Amino acid sequence: MTAKPSHEDIGTTPGAAPSDAVTGSPDAAGDASAAPVGRDTRNTGPGRLLIAVYAVFAISATARAGYQILTKFSEAPLAYLLSAFAAVVYLVATVSLAKSGRTWFKVSVAAVLVELVGVLVVGALSVFDAVNFPHETVWSLFGRGYAFIPLLLPILGLIWLYRRRPAPKPASAS
Amino acid sequence: MDAYFYIILVTGLVSTVICLAAGILKKAPNDTTILSVAAVEVSLLVYLVGSIVRVAGGEQIAGEPWEFWGYLLTAILLPVGAVYWAILERTRWSNFVLAAVGVTALVMAARMNQIWY
Repeated sequence: MTAKPSHEDIGTTPGAAPSDAVTGSPDAAGDASAAPVGRDTRNTGPGRLLIAVYAVFAISATARAGYQILTKFSEAPLAYLLSAFAAVVYLVATVSLAKSGRTWFKVSVAAVLVELVGVLVVGALSVFDAVNFPHETVWSLFGRGYAFIPLLLPILGLIWLYRRRPAPKPASAS
Repeated sequence: MDAYFYIILVTGLVSTVICLAAGILKKAPNDTTILSVAAVEVSLLVYLVGSIVRVAGGEQIAGEPWEFWGYLLTAILLPVGAVYWAILERTRWSNFVLAAVGVTALVMAARMNQIWY
């Protein structure tokens, strides 16, 4: 996590980032213009590892929730709906982290925050109210069944998003 | 736990250690790390062929068969996806992505063994 020399392109063109922000339309900026807005992508360096781990969790949570809902939904509807919800959150986080642009940044922040709240709330409920939450979800016991990675992931995600936050818009813009 | 699991245990752990070391040494993905992941892929393919032979020979999977095959096919796709994702951007971080393959395959192989027996 040391300072990386790979962002000189931002330094050489200090005017670029703010003016780009003014032109708005974050979605279009992502694919077409490719290189210029280095800060507006989060899919390089450590971000690639983060996205890869999110992708694995998206796949496993989706498969698990699908399996639970298809085979034994009536046993514990709440827990299995929670599983499905977790799966959706992981999918959204994976896709939004891989995309560039301001809008996707906001989607990422929202998804990762929801994930953090989810793992904390579901984790706490599964510990203190084990009677009503006996059925496993990814977030049960703070993700113990998954080596606590579900608890670690949103924290690392927020750190990464903060480090790669888009340049602020000029104050006069609004 | 059967021989298939132990093969993946060894290749998975070796691959993860190699890729982690390469990442810590700030190297980009190279032949060594990519081949170590390929070894994991080969052991998974051996598991696939072996399982097909066993089922064809009349052996029963104790758990849900489609759950077993789902795990196995997903595990087989993982190394391919990780190598693709890693060579798109050849930095040290891609080696950490590759490192994740070994442990993930290992965990999935353990689960597959549980389902089978």
